[in-house]
Amino acid sequence: MNWPQVELTDVERFRALAAGVPGAAVTERVLPYEPGQVKAMLADLDVFAEIHADLESATLLERDGDRVVVRAKGARGQRARLEGQFRPGWCWLQSRFVIIGTAVAAEPGGGTRVALTGGIRVPGRAAIVPIRVRQESAKTLDRLQRLLEG
Amino acid sequence: MIEAARVRAAQRGDSVAMNDVLDALTPYVGKICGPIALADGPDAAQEALIAIFRGLHSLQEPAALFGWARAIAVREAVRVARRGQRQQPAELADVPAADDPQLAIDVQDVLERLSPEHRAVLVLRDLEGLDEQAAAAVLDVPPGTAKSRLHRARVSFRKAWRS
Repeated sequence: MNWPQVELTDVERFRALAAGVPGAAVTERVLPYEPGQVKAMLADLDVFAEIHADLESATLLERDGDRVVVRAKGARGQRARLEGQFRPGWCWLQSRFVIIGTAVAAEPGGGTRVALTGGIRVPGRAAIVPIRVRQESAKTLDRLQRLLEG
Repeated sequence: MIEAARVRAAQRGDSVAMNDVLDALTPYVGKICGPIALADGPDAAQEALIAIFRGLHSLQEPAALFGWARAIAVREAVRVARRGQRQQPAELADVPAADDPQLAIDVQDVLERLSPEHRAVLVLRDLEGLDEQAAAAVLDVPPGTAKSRLHRARVSFRKAWRS
């Protein structure tokens, strides 16, 4: 028998993962650009640093397939060693004090859905301090949209 | 599959390990939810994964991850399918013969005419290979009731399939 199977988009998977992280409110927006264009832009660590307000730079230290270690430098001089999965259309990185996540999926009918979460991590826990998570994600999406507009 | 140590790390609050659990479980949850929830499969799989990650800390034994996730996936798939109210009463006499050249297409058609609970029984028995007792435990129904129900479901399906 050919049993019907379900394949979830990265945004659907992202919602599930974020649901397991208290405080990780997900902000989503449909952008009027092709998924490939949005994925290519988000796969660039310079763009990654530019769209996240608290970051000044992000440098790749190690890569093993889609597993990465990134050194992030904050706007106020703070540093973080981010580890996790970083591939076109998907980002889930954490340090001791930060969690950052992004997912991208083609939107039925056109455009690209981008989902974001992130913020200050409750040290050692899968939890984000629930302060301004949605506001910061909305600003990050604004900056991404401006970059896509060129 | 995923190592027990990664599951424990996820339970302890390592969100990257949770990402690994997500990678390991997503195809499996999709395999369970698809035949039960049909057109509502993506909703069911997403809701099942949400329930799994919200409850991951309660999993007692990391080695039991897939069995635990299966029970949640079946429960969510039945719930979402019922909510969608797309199911129609089963008319088992109408199912195609086993040698029908349109079998692959007809499997979907047959499943659509069964109730979500009936599809859940078939998934647990025929796709997952569980025995009646284990299937009853997943479906959370009394063993005696489950046994007769599972038996009837299986016999009905096979009888119709061969007719």
